[in-house]
Amino acid sequence: MSEFSPEADAFFQTLKTRRVCRSYTDQPVADAQLRRITEAGRWASSGGNRHIHKFLIVRDAETIRRVRSVAPGMLVEPPAMIVILTDKEAAERECIQLDVDQINQGDVGTAAMNMQNMAHALGLGSCPVTSFSHSGVGVMLGLPDHLEAEWIIMIGHPKPTQRGLGTGAPKPLTARDLTWWDRVGHHDPV
Amino acid sequence: MTNNENQTTYVLTEEQALDMLAFLASAAEISLHEPTYYGTFRLIDAASRLMGYLLESNPELAESFMPGWKQDIDTRKVWMMWDRPAYQQFLKEAPAVIAAEIKQRQEAAE
Repeated sequence: MSEFSPEADAFFQTLKTRRVCRSYTDQPVADAQLRRITEAGRWASSGGNRHIHKFLIVRDAETIRRVRSVAPGMLVEPPAMIVILTDKEAAERECIQLDVDQINQGDVGTAAMNMQNMAHALGLGSCPVTSFSHSGVGVMLGLPDHLEAEWIIMIGHPKPTQRGLGTGAPKPLTARDLTWWDRVGHHDPV
Repeated sequence: MTNNENQTTYVLTEEQALDMLAFLASAAEISLHEPTYYGTFRLIDAASRLMGYLLESNPELAESFMPGWKQDIDTRKVWMMWDRPAYQQFLKEAPAVIAAEIKQRQEAAE
């Protein structure tokens, strides 16, 4: 019996069971699901309420194939993807110096995480991709100069795969491994 | 596939060749800022991608060593993310696969 509410437990279960998914079926992702996922991204925290990002949903298989050719981190071609873009004109209006700003990548990450968790809650798999050529992706997506691709979120219906762990796989991390209480090096006594 | 005298020539489509070039150039660019060991991943992934294109365009290769080796690479390359020692061992063993294939072909031709 949990000491927390059923809603809190259900939410935690969604967070805990999400995994990066790099294998998808050919089944298309419904537009309604993509809309809900970007709504989840919209409700991510945005430092200073700046909201200098745009979400580009891409469903066209040929466009996805082209983007993958300049995105080594895309190990597969997903049925859909959402590209998180920084609007550099919006950043300029907000007096943000992107070359030294430390909030932008945090905001991209929180939006991406919200979207990945939403995708999981909808029964979809997702994978964030940061290993890509920014100039190459800009060309493949026809991005104007003021839009910079930051992260690509691959999305699709998961296809079960064998992870094939080697014998030296480390033991799973726990929150206790990562957390100190009150002072550095002091783990949860419980 | 075409045959020239004693050599077998495998083909890629223009699209496959351009995709491969785009992948290699992009991998070179991102290697400037990614962790150094990611470069090993990009290279072995490139080998897998090249085999994927060759298998698509040359159906006769379905009976060769390539489907099995590609499957093995695709299974074990991702160990880089959660089992680094096993990944490194895999990389050390991988060249032996293609070396054995080359040697076997040479011996068969002699």
